[in-house]
Amino acid sequence: MRFIVVRLLRGLLTLWFAVTVTFFLVRLLPGDPVLAVADPGMTEELRAKLLADLGLDRPLGAQYADYLNRLLHGDLGVSFRQSVPVTTVLMERLPWTLLLAGSALLVTVGLGVPLGVLAATRARSLTDRVIQASGVTAQSLFVPSVGIFLLVVFGANLGWFPIGGAVDLDATGPAAWLSALHHLVLPCLTLALVQLGGYVLTMRATLVDALGADYVSLARAKGVRPRAVVWRHALRNALPPTAALAGLQLGTLVGGAVLTETIYAYPGVGRAVYEAVGRLDFPVLQGAFVLLAATVVVAGLLTDLACGLLDPRMRAS
Amino acid sequence: MTALLDASPRRRTWDAFRRDPLGMGGAAVLLALAAVAALAPLIAPFPEGYGTDTLHPPSAAQWFGTDDVGQDVFAQVVWGTRVSVAVGLGAAALAVAIGALVGLCAAYVRRLDAPLGLAVDLCLSLPVLPLMILVAALAGPSVRTLAVVIAAFSWPEAARVVRARARSIVPLPFVSAARTVGGSPLWIVRRHLLPGVAPVVLTTAVLTTSRAVLAEAGLSFLGLGDPANWSWGTILHRAQQSGALASAWWTTLFPSVAILLLVLSTTLLAAAYTDARDHRDLP
Amino acid sequence: MRCGVLLAAGALVLMTACGAAPTTSGAPGVAKRGDRLTIGTTADVANLNPLVGNSRTDSWVTNLMYPHLMQMDAAGRRIPYLATDWAYAKDGRSATVRLRDDLTWSDGRPVTADDVVFSVNAVRKERFGVVAGLVTALDEARALSPTSLSFTFTRPDGTFLDNVGFWLPIVPKHVFEKAPSVQRFANDAAWVSAGPYRLTRVERGQRYVMERVESFGPGRPAVKEVVFRVYPDVNTQVLALRNGEIDLIANALPPATALALKGDPEISLVEVPSLGWAHLQYNTRREPLDDVRVRRALAHAVDYPAIREIALKGLASSARSSVLTPTQPDYADPGVHEYAHDPARARELLREAGVSGLSLDLIYDHADPKIARWAPMVRDSARKAGVTITLRGLERNTYMDRTHRRDFDVYAGSWAIMDNPPANLALAFRTGGFLNYAQVSDPALDRLIDQGGRALTREQARAPIRRAARIIHEQVYDNVLYVETLTVAHSARWTGFKPMPSELLSIVNPLSLAAVKPVS
Repeated sequence: MRFIVVRLLRGLLTLWFAVTVTFFLVRLLPGDPVLAVADPGMTEELRAKLLADLGLDRPLGAQYADYLNRLLHGDLGVSFRQSVPVTTVLMERLPWTLLLAGSALLVTVGLGVPLGVLAATRARSLTDRVIQASGVTAQSLFVPSVGIFLLVVFGANLGWFPIGGAVDLDATGPAAWLSALHHLVLPCLTLALVQLGGYVLTMRATLVDALGADYVSLARAKGVRPRAVVWRHALRNALPPTAALAGLQLGTLVGGAVLTETIYAYPGVGRAVYEAVGRLDFPVLQGAFVLLAATVVVAGLLTDLACGLLDPRMRAS
Repeated sequence: MTALLDASPRRRTWDAFRRDPLGMGGAAVLLALAAVAALAPLIAPFPEGYGTDTLHPPSAAQWFGTDDVGQDVFAQVVWGTRVSVAVGLGAAALAVAIGALVGLCAAYVRRLDAPLGLAVDLCLSLPVLPLMILVAALAGPSVRTLAVVIAAFSWPEAARVVRARARSIVPLPFVSAARTVGGSPLWIVRRHLLPGVAPVVLTTAVLTTSRAVLAEAGLSFLGLGDPANWSWGTILHRAQQSGALASAWWTTLFPSVAILLLVLSTTLLAAAYTDARDHRDLP
Repeated sequence: MRCGVLLAAGALVLMTACGAAPTTSGAPGVAKRGDRLTIGTTADVANLNPLVGNSRTDSWVTNLMYPHLMQMDAAGRRIPYLATDWAYAKDGRSATVRLRDDLTWSDGRPVTADDVVFSVNAVRKERFGVVAGLVTALDEARALSPTSLSFTFTRPDGTFLDNVGFWLPIVPKHVFEKAPSVQRFANDAAWVSAGPYRLTRVERGQRYVMERVESFGPGRPAVKEVVFRVYPDVNTQVLALRNGEIDLIANALPPATALALKGDPEISLVEVPSLGWAHLQYNTRREPLDDVRVRRALAHAVDYPAIREIALKGLASSARSSVLTPTQPDYADPGVHEYAHDPARARELLREAGVSGLSLDLIYDHADPKIARWAPMVRDSARKAGVTITLRGLERNTYMDRTHRRDFDVYAGSWAIMDNPPANLALAFRTGGFLNYAQVSDPALDRLIDQGGRALTREQARAPIRRAARIIHEQVYDNVLYVETLTVAHSARWTGFKPMPSELLSIVNPLSLAAVKPVS
């Protein structure tokens, strides 16, 4: 119980930190947010009115306190440019980022763990080397390059996958789900590819150690079949580091979605961040960071809880 | 085998490293790229101005083809090596320096451990790339800005690794002994902790370099790079701007391969080095 | 192992969180080819309030929803839309406009003169958007009947009708008047519109779906549905166009792409003249740029043909170094000639002015693909004249801020639409004009511009405006580099577009989209 409370508090602290950092960073941006909303020809009096409308005329401290207070009530403010609540702007996009990041994580783990196991059980064989080399290579790929390559080959030339967007306009019901999956393939693959290497290598490294450990030798001596040894004993010990890696990489994963979303015209939050920077739309920027940070925190919390419940040793750390 | 055991640890690491073809390959590619970066002015003229032969595919005269204003893509990639390598190394050096400092402080000074550890964890859970976009837009585009921005968001990773490693050394008998005999903290850190964490610092530095190269490419690709200089990300950004990204494959392929080569070789180098250290005692 | 399963389950939970999104986005039935025109754009709509939104995508979408009094033809002349005819009184102190009676708002109410009066007054009262700066001469707008209205002016202003007619979107009074502030009114749902299409669905970051208005007065649109799809990048747009996922790219193509698409039988290219121009401006308040000889030297140090041929791939024409570009046939002055690229002459002029070792900063928006191409060319050719130009490619907001504060030596930029020379010259070159980046202050020029502004017809305005433009040319208050030939691409399966000048109108203007139909 104490473990859960500590993790929750930590999550909240992380959120507060993300909010604070971005609140002040955003306000340091060069340029004039009013200029991004109105014509440069505005009079001083109009300018003052606009500043007041946007709540930018008050001292920074007051703005910050006000922002935190509203945030506690689930209010992310109103977009400067769009005049609609930030939650409206972003909530429509958040599911797509979650879908993209979530499915990429799923694919990465789903591929990374078995590949790591395979490599470890045949350590120093050709298979092992090929797997390791591919993992490392995939990790070194530059997302936009992969994106353009996949788009040209599988989207434009072969016509297997759509060029952009997240779901067909006409699809309804189950067809909509299929269409969403269809649109998801390339972006998800791209994101999974560049994350895969880390999992394969971690899995392999810890498993190689575990396979040499005493209890595995003991199990072998007791006559447990080699495959069973790997799956039952060694894997259990090798998974926590992998889960820890997943927790660590969540930030990169969600953040890395920006480039993927840009290339694939995917309507996620990352893309909104990039646009909002250009438009000096402070509330949208802050809101996007809050949501991204919250995603990372919640997902991290879930992994921690899950693994902590399973593996008592992790609770102590 | 006897010879191996007799040799110094450094020597043994090197012997083990030398037998890893991937590591050696990585080192060779890195050296080649470093040479290209250093000798860029001798290899190709700085890409500027314009030519009449625009978007020409690779040929004998222009190995990597030309871009939409007729500049030689080969020259761009060569000069881009400079910025990419410089930003990578600069950012990594800065990040690792900060990270090592924080990590060592956390490990050595007990009272600082909890707050610093928390700070590192907090920073690690921020969405890094969007923040980099924000700060890069804030600070204005220049090579130096890019290096600092990337370092500012990469040090927590280094700090985490160094802290973990240093924490396993601090309780060791020789450190406690040094403490009891009244060695100054600075001396203890320099004499015992630094050598202990040096290998992980080295590995982290190499890995951070590769990550910094990717981050630089990402920011430049999004148009937040230094417009007065060439980097691989900038080449891709210009190809995207001109609409040639998908049609003129040579403007995309060569900078992409360059990024891949640099990142891959640094990763292989780091892996081979770690491997060599771990296995130096094995036959 | 179970840990991994849980991890995966966690991801699944994340995925299920989006369950609502794909299922709510279905539309009944699959549209037949020819029933739907899909348009690619590079940005989301920033604001659906037509009086506020000012990005291109904003205008493309809201122009289909909200009528304007007038449209523009290929020569920049005004043609009827909501207004059928208009005229100034003889003394120029008032004007009357008659409206067509067959436009209705989507809630069934007719579009009347009251709506026009409300729209003008809303903009004037809260002073926002492009139009506010164009209606300074307005004293009162009054509805005379549901289909006619009058404007009275505090001073004669011959630019008023053209400006208001073209730029002011007409919004429904009975909807917008309920908002406490029209400017902060988001207009993000339950749209009441009167254009050829009405907005039915918004999926941010993805698409905007519009359906045709069966009873649209000027004629029922041929296409049932228009969909704007958001692609952040022109490269993917081209792939999507080639793949048939979109039928039309609304943004003007980068020159290299336009050339690459030439000859593709599936794709038609349409050339659209630009109403703007690309230019360099010299800060006339800074030494030694306050000396006309120095400015002339700089004008001779630019290789104009090379910029048009290389950076613009030939998709640009000379403006004869005049702010009255060939796209304005009623004003353009055949007697003016482009500054010759002549480094020797430039050196000579600098020597005459007693300036040596001139070193200047040039600011530009480095995200602008065209300027990012030619700014280095300006630097390189200036070097031949012994002038050192340092490029300052800036992030867009910093660039706008520096421009606004007039903090630069040389400014590189472009105007998108300068459709009304008397009004535009007043903004850009009259003392204190808010687009007067070069900080020109020339009493003779001011007088001519005012004279042109008071003229009630183009014929009367032509002479003073030409003389003003000559002064701008001779004094190098503006150095016009080229007028771009904009190229837009659409699938060859569609025909009947009505191209209009400028990227804002191009082939996605309401009349064009009301006329387009599939090739039979």
